[in-house]
Amino acid sequence: MAEYSWESYKETKFSKPLPLKGIRVLEVCTLVLGPSGPGFLARLGAEVIKCEVPPMGDTLRSMAPFSYFFKDQSTSLIRPNPNKYWVGLDLHKPEGQQLFLELAAKADIIEENLRPGVMERWNVGYRQISAINPGIIYISKTGFGQWGQYAEENRPSNDGAAQGMSGYAWISRFPGRPPLKNRLYVCDSYGALLGEVAVLAALYYRDRTGKGQYIELSQSEAIMRTMSWVWPYQQITGQGAEPAGNRDVSICPADTFRCADDTFVAIAAPDEEEFRGLCLAMGRPELAEDPRFADHLTRLQEENALEILQIIAEWARTRTAEEIERLAEEYGFAASRVYSIKDVVESEHSRARGFLAEVDDPLLGEFLDYEFPVMMSRTSPRVRWSVRPVGFDNEYVMKYILGKSEDEIRQLYQCGALGKWAQVRGRRPPPDWDGKAGLILSRE
Amino acid sequence: MEKQRWQDWIRERDDPRIASTKPEALDDITVLDLSYKSFAGCYCSSLLAEFGAEVLRAEPPGGDFIRKCTPYGILYRGEGLNYLSEGRNKFHITLNLEKPEARDILKSLVAQSDVLIETFRPGLMDEWGIGYERLKEINPRLIYASITLFGQFGPRSHSRMPGYDNIIQAISGNQYDNGEMLPEGKTYDECPWAVPTKAGPWIGWVVAGTYMAVGILAALHWRELTREGQALDVSAVEAYTSLEDWAAVWYQGAGVVSERFGNLNIGGWLYCFAPTRDGAVFLGGLRLEMWQAFADMLGKWDEWGAADWRDLADFSTREEQLKWAERVFAETSKYTSEELVRMAVEYGQKGRLAPITPVVAPVCSPEETMREPNWLDRGIFTPVQDPVYGEVIVAQAQYKLSETPIRTKWVCRPVGYDNEYIYLKYLGFGPRKLKKLKEAGVI
Repeated sequence: MAEYSWESYKETKFSKPLPLKGIRVLEVCTLVLGPSGPGFLARLGAEVIKCEVPPMGDTLRSMAPFSYFFKDQSTSLIRPNPNKYWVGLDLHKPEGQQLFLELAAKADIIEENLRPGVMERWNVGYRQISAINPGIIYISKTGFGQWGQYAEENRPSNDGAAQGMSGYAWISRFPGRPPLKNRLYVCDSYGALLGEVAVLAALYYRDRTGKGQYIELSQSEAIMRTMSWVWPYQQITGQGAEPAGNRDVSICPADTFRCADDTFVAIAAPDEEEFRGLCLAMGRPELAEDPRFADHLTRLQEENALEILQIIAEWARTRTAEEIERLAEEYGFAASRVYSIKDVVESEHSRARGFLAEVDDPLLGEFLDYEFPVMMSRTSPRVRWSVRPVGFDNEYVMKYILGKSEDEIRQLYQCGALGKWAQVRGRRPPPDWDGKAGLILSRE
Repeated sequence: MEKQRWQDWIRERDDPRIASTKPEALDDITVLDLSYKSFAGCYCSSLLAEFGAEVLRAEPPGGDFIRKCTPYGILYRGEGLNYLSEGRNKFHITLNLEKPEARDILKSLVAQSDVLIETFRPGLMDEWGIGYERLKEINPRLIYASITLFGQFGPRSHSRMPGYDNIIQAISGNQYDNGEMLPEGKTYDECPWAVPTKAGPWIGWVVAGTYMAVGILAALHWRELTREGQALDVSAVEAYTSLEDWAAVWYQGAGVVSERFGNLNIGGWLYCFAPTRDGAVFLGGLRLEMWQAFADMLGKWDEWGAADWRDLADFSTREEQLKWAERVFAETSKYTSEELVRMAVEYGQKGRLAPITPVVAPVCSPEETMREPNWLDRGIFTPVQDPVYGEVIVAQAQYKLSETPIRTKWVCRPVGYDNEYIYLKYLGFGPRKLKKLKEAGVI
């Protein structure tokens, strides 16, 4: 049985090794595109040292849904930043740069998402680091890459800019309506994820050869890669790709429909058996024999697709989402309610799988976080702890990793190379912090 | 000696134009891709094939249904356009796993492979006697990667529901709160577009496939250290859900269910699409000074009292965002998108708060994107010269690497195109044996 390998997976996670054990990552990242990448590696067991400029740190620390902060922490900061060590390091200062070089000499991977050339100006660019650590894997993530017109113009970018400039938003809306920005920071999160494919391919290559390398990722280019048919379609037909609302123009029928109770249900039934099942469920078996809907390629043609989707829409208006889900199970097609975040968080299935992971954090208390969504039978990724104030782990990193003495550490604070959080919401510890919880060293 | 500019130095090393002169990161790896009716699996094996893995793409003799999932039913030289983009660098063989003999062939291939990707409903591979528990006996170093709608275990893993992209998007939670708001006093009948809206591209499938590629590569690294293979399990729903940043924490902490907020951003101000005279732009100013710079750029520094603003959080509540959006949109509507983009670039040079400037980016159609000189220069739309399909544009070179860059050698292959070569190379099957297998419906 497939389930044999997965028996007690959730319960035994912590009795398994982590796949990236022993890999050290330095990040100089802000917002979502940058930190999410090391966040994935941290879930896989890499030791990630997040360097922030004190006392304000990552810009993401200011962001929260309608200004709702979770125990004084930015709600948005949590997802991209589990399991990290937090260092308040000022790279504007020569002493801070020197400290970074010391860490880089002992690192395997460096990730940054500043504008092109900034790291080099701070004497910690790829040319400087690879001179002291040729095995380093160094990734820069930006809107437009390191070279080309936009990079030369030093244009800033955000997720939303990439959604706009790639055409992703333009085709993700209803026809005749203005372009729609996706509510996810999809170009950030996806760009970061795709970047790790390159980082880990480079790590595998280094395992084989000992050679490091430099990687550049543009979040716009990353999201363009996901838009499969759009590019050959435009080349081959000479026409621009058009938006189609909730209808999938490559799969028919596949769309979202409004139900009797004004909830919404997604339905898909493209292959012959699924389509026949849907027709039977609708009490319209003759549609499966209709020449306009004879096979998938025929159904996909514009006129036929609009016709069948209209028929399904009229039927769905007379049923509740639950009824349609039940019929789908019975007749062998796909249908589901559109889930809200409440449905997601309360999913028993995701709980049973441990995708919804209970984190018992010394600073934030208990809450559910998303586990890394690749379950690995021998080396289970996992979330262990959550976000920390700026510079929270300075002492641990200076002493345990760099072997600095108390005197040296004091000097580093004095010259401003090291620093800690500002007494500002999103930067400081939770209000109920006892001054000790979560600190690894220097609790007195 | 004058040091070379960074951007020139790195371009000399990572420009996709010289990719073919460099080594490939995964060229000692063999991947068996059994994906069926799932773009997630195809995308995953593409990411590995771009890095030089030898991917044996096995389909049923009639070809995978996914080939027929193509916009408006359009075929190009017999091929669907999605598959045309995602058959890249793979050797295409046929293998009818319904037949016991084919399963024996599969076992022989598994004995010589590093990675197996499959997307069948959970349990089917076991019923066929080729599940992970059996295959790991043949090859303990095998990395066995399953991508399905709900995953290999848990109560819903027994569901037989097919996992199409729009279904993934619906169950992930990410469609529900995406889309235009229903204007006050209006109904869905009047505004059928103000509903939960999915993303156009197959992002659910793509995210699942990309996560799996990350998992496979982490497992390969682990295998280098220990010689141990393992099974990997991705639920496409969970994969896409996990891109969500703050809604789950908000719901747990405050009991709030995230609802649609149109082109604004629940997660903070200034971050929206704004209308212009000829289209729309994206506006980004996630630091107070950037929002101030934006107001200044529009000539509203005094009128809006920008000098007295203290905290962006004051602008980020629902009411404030709606109020300010109205003011901002009234201003942006006076300019073209191009004018606003230029104003931001110039403000970054000469403005009161320079070099601080807001992010202003045009919202482009994919047609405009594909013509944009910046992207053409960076090689993402360089046509591939395919031996079967001729010159085809697919997105490629999405990351640039100095030592082991990715490359697209061909875009696609017809069904069973590589049977002769692959079966000879791996199993020693010559023409006579292949003919017999074909007649028996095995390949």
